[in-house]
Amino acid sequence: MDFSLTDEQEMLRDTARTLLAKECPPTLVRACIDDPAAADELWQRHVREWAVLGDGDLVDHVLFLEEAGRVMLPGPYFATSALFLPLVRAVDHPLAAAAAAGEVTGTVSMADRSGQWLVHDEPMHTFVVDADRVDHIAFVVPGPAVAVVATSDVRVQRIESLDLVRRYGHVDVPTQVEPVPIDPQALSEVLERATVALAAEMIGVSSWLLDHSVAYAKERVQFGRPIGSFQGLQWKLVGMAQDHERAAAAVAYAAMAIDADDDDRRRATHVAKAAAGRAARGGAQDGMQVHGGIGYTWEHDLHLYLRRAFASDALLGTADWHHDRLADLLLG
Amino acid sequence: VRLAWDERDEAFRDELRVFLDEHCPDELRRGRDFLGGQDEIPVWAQEWQAALFDHGWMIPSYPPELGGRDATAVQTLLFLEELASRGIPRSLHFGGYAIVGPSLLEFGNDEQKAMAPAAIRGDTVWCVGMSEPNAGSDLAALSTRAVLDGDAFVVNGQKVWTSYAAIAQKCFCYVRTDPTVAKHKGISVLIIEMETPGVEIRPLKQIGGSSEFAEVFFTDAVVPAENLVGDLNDGWRITMGSLAHERGGLWVEGVFAALRAIEGLVRVARERGVDRDPVVRRKLGELYERAASLRSLGYKGFSSFAQGSSAPEHSFMKLSTTELRKELYRTAMDLQGAWGAVVDPEWSSEGGRWQHAWITSLAGTIGGGTSEIQRNVIATRVLGLPKG
Repeated sequence: MDFSLTDEQEMLRDTARTLLAKECPPTLVRACIDDPAAADELWQRHVREWAVLGDGDLVDHVLFLEEAGRVMLPGPYFATSALFLPLVRAVDHPLAAAAAAGEVTGTVSMADRSGQWLVHDEPMHTFVVDADRVDHIAFVVPGPAVAVVATSDVRVQRIESLDLVRRYGHVDVPTQVEPVPIDPQALSEVLERATVALAAEMIGVSSWLLDHSVAYAKERVQFGRPIGSFQGLQWKLVGMAQDHERAAAAVAYAAMAIDADDDDRRRATHVAKAAAGRAARGGAQDGMQVHGGIGYTWEHDLHLYLRRAFASDALLGTADWHHDRLADLLLG
Repeated sequence: VRLAWDERDEAFRDELRVFLDEHCPDELRRGRDFLGGQDEIPVWAQEWQAALFDHGWMIPSYPPELGGRDATAVQTLLFLEELASRGIPRSLHFGGYAIVGPSLLEFGNDEQKAMAPAAIRGDTVWCVGMSEPNAGSDLAALSTRAVLDGDAFVVNGQKVWTSYAAIAQKCFCYVRTDPTVAKHKGISVLIIEMETPGVEIRPLKQIGGSSEFAEVFFTDAVVPAENLVGDLNDGWRITMGSLAHERGGLWVEGVFAALRAIEGLVRVARERGVDRDPVVRRKLGELYERAASLRSLGYKGFSSFAQGSSAPEHSFMKLSTTELRKELYRTAMDLQGAWGAVVDPEWSSEGGRWQHAWITSLAGTIGGGTSEIQRNVIATRVLGLPKG
């Protein structure tokens, strides 16, 4: 297993980091809380050209998603490139090319009322990411099959979410549209890819939390010295770093396993999402503790990441759920 | 980023597999979790280490005269991986090949360098005199005193937790040669023959019942001045090297032992009829997640290392794998319920293997730098936090 990046991959990551640091400042992210259209220009001018990564090697897509997670990139990027595009591509839908080109946006509607992404025949789907903000919704329906519908043709009910930036909706499943069958194996591969993509975004979240907490511990002085010199805080930060590092490695490995269609791809997917969930949630809670009172204010960005960490852990399977799936693979 | 190594490396692995299938003694094929505790080294173990050396499989990155085959870093990793996944150790006494041999080659004079092949082949058994009663985690506080008197050092003091001292012929010993300067600056390394008058060894029985450690007492032991390794009072640099040699590939063993332990937990859960219990299932899933993600972290660190970058990932590996192993073996005891308290080979799962592994795993977070020291080191050197 060789984790080293090629020169092109290093360049992809550096370009994305520079671009997003400049074009997606915290002020823009916060503007989207009240008005999601605040990110429209960012999407149009800078981000949509990166949607094509959802069509290629997952290892490359993962690099961009980590950067996206670090700045909490608002807008339809995740739903379009990590959910919609791989699914419509798997059924050769004519919209795939336009989605890859960033000309249309979309999301996937699949989860049932329990929040599980399993094929079911309930009349309403939920946890539909950015359902009210994209052009098209691809429904996964019994068969399994995929029905792609314009958002304007379905009833979307926004549900307020813990995450202030990523929106969720309930969507009524349309009955008049003829779905296209999808091979169950292909569907599960699309979901694996989406799960690892989300885990990658969460690595960006835990890296933001770690970096800011370490930096704050070096700056903040109490009892005449930086609080980062106290062992109690040092060990907490070491624990955050430990969980972040192994989750980041697990995500990179899962992306490689999926790209290579390795036998280990399913296990690797569960490991990546569970590890990323633990790292992001733990990093958010411990990061809050390291920041003390200042981290508990609305003005500080920490709570945006805290909310994102917990919401993302809950999406596409919590760490507990993925642990149970690993147990199924280990114990039968 | 890619999953497989190139063809040349895979050919290397194939050659190793053939060698292992042909030469590995039966005693090592059982894939036990831990070895050691022997009062003497069995003949089969001596022959195994010599065979590895003679075929260039002892330290593959070394040239043939040092028991290697000029292997690349990637090949060395494949080698460690293959051994670790089968649970096969190279030697029952790691001090000689893992610490003393490499240190002699790096810091010794020509005569001392010439001792390295025998140390690596296991023909000479070495112990390493580091810890003392008042110098454990604070190794630089060591006080075993060596005073240069004419052409010899006179050594007085005590070492403790000295692995294999009872079976060793030589000791690679850290001594204080200048007590008047800062503690890191007055340490030197001496090669001390264990037969030297004034050297007394008392085996130290461990909680598991075996005695691979010993206390070593020095009372006016006379050591020739030419047995000094490196420069006088420059021993701290050698200590740092010793610990690095010890740690280099240990993560591979730690990770694969953890993955093997999980296979064992699955067996125990089934045997005890708790494999449908949702609490047990979730716990095993979580343990697998930790072991598998650490395997990825180890390889990721290795990839940076092989490219010549520093690998902060590896700082986490000793800490994480030893803590994980404690939890794995403790879980194996939990799965057995009341039978976790039984070590009778007739009644206990797999002959009391898990209880033994659990007791032994408790040493993992103490020896070679405690978990607490590892956390302090990561805090200051990896995260750059100010010293407390």
